[in-house]
Amino acid sequence: MVLHGLFLGLPLAALDIRTLPQQIVNGLLNGSIYALIALGYTMVYGILKLINFAHGEVFMLGAYTSLFVSWAFGFTPNATVEPQTQVWYLLVMIVASMTVSGLAGVLIERFAYRPLRNQPRIASLITAIGMSMLLQYGGQLFLPNSPPPNIDAMINPYRGNVNITLVKSNENLVAAMKSAEQTKLTADSAWDAQKKLEENSFYPSAKGQALQDAAQKADRDYIEAQGKYNNSGVSILMPVGRIITTVVTFILMGVLSYLILFTKRGRAMRAVSHDFDSAALMGINVNSIVTFTFILGSTLAGAAAMMDATLYQPGLQINTFFGLLPGVKAFVAAVIGGIGNVPGAVVGGLLMGVIESLVGWAGYTSWQDAAAFVVLIVVLLVRPNGLFGSTAAEKV
Amino acid sequence: MVASPPVSKSNPVAKSLVSGILSAVGCVALAFLVQYISGQFLSSYANGLVFQAATFVTLAVSLNIVNGITGQFSIGHYAFFQIGAYTTGALSLLFWKKFQGAANVPMQEDIWIVLMMFFGIITSAFAGWIVGLPSLRLRGDYLAIVTLGFGEIIRISAENFTFMGGATGTKIAPEKTVVWLAWLLAFAAIGLSRNLLKSVHGLAFLSVREDEIAATAMGVNITRTKVAAFVIGSAFAGAAGVLYAHQQTFISPDLFKMDGSFIVLTMVIFGGTGSITGSALAGASLFYLPEALRELPPVPFASLVGIVLGLIATIGALKRYSDQSHAKTSVKAATMIGIIVVGIVFMAILGKLLSFVPSISAHAPIQGSQLRLVVFAVTLIVLMLFRPQGVFAHHEFSWKWLRSVLARVLPKQKEGLSS
Amino acid sequence: MVASIGLASFMATGCKKGSSAASGGANPSSGGDTSGSTSMRKPMEGKGNSAKNGVITIGLVASETGDQKPWGEDSIKGAELALADFNAAGGIKGYKINLDIQDSQSIPAGAGNAAAKLISDGAVGIVGEVSSGNTVEIANRGFKAGVPVVAIGATMTKLTETQNNVFRVCYPDSFQGGVMATFAYQALGLRKVGVLTDNKLPYSQGLSRDFIRTFKKLGGTIVDQEKYEQGASTFSTQLTQLKAANPEAIFCSGYFTEVGPIVAAAHQMGLTVPFLGGDGWDSPKILTSGGKAILGDYFCNHYTNMDNSPVVQQFLKEWMQKYKSAPGTTMGALGYDAMKVTLTALKNCKTMDSVDLRNALANIQDLQCVSGTITLKGNNGTPNKRALVVKIVPMGPLGFQQPVVAYQPDPKTGLPVKVPLGSAAGS
Repeated sequence: MVLHGLFLGLPLAALDIRTLPQQIVNGLLNGSIYALIALGYTMVYGILKLINFAHGEVFMLGAYTSLFVSWAFGFTPNATVEPQTQVWYLLVMIVASMTVSGLAGVLIERFAYRPLRNQPRIASLITAIGMSMLLQYGGQLFLPNSPPPNIDAMINPYRGNVNITLVKSNENLVAAMKSAEQTKLTADSAWDAQKKLEENSFYPSAKGQALQDAAQKADRDYIEAQGKYNNSGVSILMPVGRIITTVVTFILMGVLSYLILFTKRGRAMRAVSHDFDSAALMGINVNSIVTFTFILGSTLAGAAAMMDATLYQPGLQINTFFGLLPGVKAFVAAVIGGIGNVPGAVVGGLLMGVIESLVGWAGYTSWQDAAAFVVLIVVLLVRPNGLFGSTAAEKV
Repeated sequence: MVASPPVSKSNPVAKSLVSGILSAVGCVALAFLVQYISGQFLSSYANGLVFQAATFVTLAVSLNIVNGITGQFSIGHYAFFQIGAYTTGALSLLFWKKFQGAANVPMQEDIWIVLMMFFGIITSAFAGWIVGLPSLRLRGDYLAIVTLGFGEIIRISAENFTFMGGATGTKIAPEKTVVWLAWLLAFAAIGLSRNLLKSVHGLAFLSVREDEIAATAMGVNITRTKVAAFVIGSAFAGAAGVLYAHQQTFISPDLFKMDGSFIVLTMVIFGGTGSITGSALAGASLFYLPEALRELPPVPFASLVGIVLGLIATIGALKRYSDQSHAKTSVKAATMIGIIVVGIVFMAILGKLLSFVPSISAHAPIQGSQLRLVVFAVTLIVLMLFRPQGVFAHHEFSWKWLRSVLARVLPKQKEGLSS
Repeated sequence: MVASIGLASFMATGCKKGSSAASGGANPSSGGDTSGSTSMRKPMEGKGNSAKNGVITIGLVASETGDQKPWGEDSIKGAELALADFNAAGGIKGYKINLDIQDSQSIPAGAGNAAAKLISDGAVGIVGEVSSGNTVEIANRGFKAGVPVVAIGATMTKLTETQNNVFRVCYPDSFQGGVMATFAYQALGLRKVGVLTDNKLPYSQGLSRDFIRTFKKLGGTIVDQEKYEQGASTFSTQLTQLKAANPEAIFCSGYFTEVGPIVAAAHQMGLTVPFLGGDGWDSPKILTSGGKAILGDYFCNHYTNMDNSPVVQQFLKEWMQKYKSAPGTTMGALGYDAMKVTLTALKNCKTMDSVDLRNALANIQDLQCVSGTITLKGNNGTPNKRALVVKIVPMGPLGFQQPVVAYQPDPKTGLPVKVPLGSAAGS
């Protein structure tokens, strides 16, 4: 009770079991974006043992790229002509975003990390932090601040929801809803007729006031009845944009796993990850492998950024701090899964998403981010190398 | 051999005691001197800066105990700073008025703040202990994440802490810029670090940094050492937080953003991991850097682009040269200065040329203040590229060290001196 | 929840006591506010600055970098426009006015240092900032040094309560929250409302609190309260919770950067009830990010381009002439007003120093400003301005904010009272 009084946002929540399935699905869909970004963190860490703090900024650059491409297609905020909408725009955007992000990742590695490879790891880490700050604050000088893309509504032809009904709504409530709707329509039309006579409906005459009150009362009753009907069933609603995002995420993860597990280059990557120096002695071109890793990780971030900015959450504003929060969360996801481990990053990302959703479901949305970190600490205490991390002793 | 005379045996102890007392008194005197000078001769703005400099010196030196000396990578130092500030915030909201009424003594506010420092130290040291515990099992980067996460948890708790105004924050009393106390705290942190390094315990800390496995083999209790480092480091940060809170008087979660932890970490790295004087000097100077950069005039956009391109080229050339050249130090230094001069000329020419490009010259000039954090970030990257071990590396600043450095850079002068 | 709110308000009084003790401890001396007899405002401590060599320095603290850059830039433009107008109208004889702009980095500590810098540079008065957290720091520095501060968009209710050097040109959150609650309850006839707060923003937390307080007082119910954080990339958890609570409308007190996506996402998942908000919604970008979903929703604002009063139209004309595009946010108009108030007060000064300027500010009466008529005399630093409730309509030549109702604080109770729309300049 003391805690309850001292801290805001600790309602002793009434848990609503009917929204639980929806929230779990929300969590999984959210988690797939984290997973995609987390892959970049985890791969770079696996190879270089470096936390690439600038990864969030690579993500940010990807988002800007997709924004600029969309502008090139005519989706500017002040467009006078409604631009043509075509699906392949989306493909061009994602490819451009992946390319630019990949390039940014490679450049950062080449000029900020590679010269420091033989120095203590902390030096690269500081450079990474410096790089991140440089892109955030330096980017502000050149990049437009918070431009709204809103491409989803115009381009995405698959817009809409997929609705899965788990428990059907109580049909007995339909009659009540229908009658409430009738009353509402009658009252509304009476008020609408009167509204035409009034100059400003927010300063109604006495007669108008009475009609308005009646209409509003009927509206409230209708919403009440409608809510009762809707809440008597259990269903899961999935925006198609998010489903696309999740599917693309899993496809990219599949491609990545194939690259790592079944190609020559992937084997070389694993060798470098296992032992940097021995791999070099075995004739592996370590530099090219590191570059390749950065390309892979950064392209994935670019893909995530494009989907995040356009399909996933319509209308998100883009500024140079766009990558900060997703970056930190994805990073935590990578660590939960066991940093350096590809399936671990995916599981960690999905887990993060679900945990956040569940905390929100329990009524503590203001504690969502904190909960993620609490889980992180608990996981690390139980399994110090993350859920899927290798348990080999680290030589210091 | 002959038994040494008793005097020489007891002498070192007595001597160290005397010198200890003397230096303590000296520190107190110096702290009051700083307060007197900055209070008398400086504007309130500069006085505030003198105070904040001490706070950041304390933060940097205390983080150096965790990061530099013990080698535990903590990137959530601001959390302890915030805990100190919020401790005094809560206690002052509840009890300051009562105290003010009950104890009507001179320097009442200073006494209260000292009292609060005591509580701030307790709470933040406790938090440090909690965070230090996972280091039982975690190593390296994982610990970094835990400290980062802890920082976030503290920030979010503060946002939800309605007693202290939530995200808005709250005003606390008494408001006082206690310069002498801040500097005394900074001196204490420096002194404690120094004495730690000179003692047996300090060696245990260093051994944990250098090689945990070897340290265990030598019988060092790693857990206790790590936790002790965290507790000491966070206690100082907490005490600094108390002072900072009473200077700022309005405390809110915004004051303790995550960037702050990074900046303190940068100070430690900049000064040289493990170097106490390095951390202290870097703390003071890096804290002052953004303030000094306030004076930057607006930069035309073309010149800015020129500077950016020129800077990249110059740094690339410098890096390439310094990695590959095996010339004498003096020759090397001269060539590098030459490259820098050429680079600056290149920047100027490029900026002039670019100003003829219409789309670039049409861009509005960039306000100097917008460049402050950019300059900060660039400084960081450049430093890491050329001197990743920090300005002082593992060394401490002393006249002897300075002389040896000078001797290396200017060999001829040394010959002249010795002959 | 009742217990929690009760405790919170108890705490609030607690800290008010604390802060008055703070400023009282050092200077129990004479005076009090010239403007109000029952004022709790303590006289500022320092002697302040004065004009030097015929140059009067006015400081402006603005967020040139960081999260609040769009607001900061507009506030600078507005202030510079006001200064240009003032100089064109003759200025002050024998003096040149120098506008010294310092960056706050959008953080309180940066704002505090910027203010300290301005004070040591000899600023007679300081204008700024657009957010409350930053303004508090500036106000404290000004209080200690004896320099008056005119806040631009700081709506935090307690801002002007304890120090007599602090003034503002906007309405406080307590009024804005009350206006939206009254509008929701009386004009829209809503009884069950959900609240969505940006937990990272002091502004949003305070506004939600004030909305909830008034809405409950009027007899309404808050069915659900959810929080998100600025910079979050998804709001599905919060919206799912809100939808399950079946509200008749949602009060969303954050900034437009997040409100647009929130409303768009809500509509996509079938939550199509009206959304209500505060002046943080004010930006044309809310239309492009919110799409069609945001049309028809209401928020509270200081002024709107669609206001056809001559003052507003004149201001718009000048702005367009100077900057080639309409002001992006309200902070343009408020920056202009804050500067105008300061300069007008300066003109009434005799000795051109901080103390004189403060007294002149405290005596500003019936000054026609872009965002309404401002009277600081007898109001303890916060003008009793009218607030507009505007409806979001498709972008037209005059913007997208159609004024629907105007509210004016009742002089006795401070509660919002409906006033005729036409008198946009207020009374």
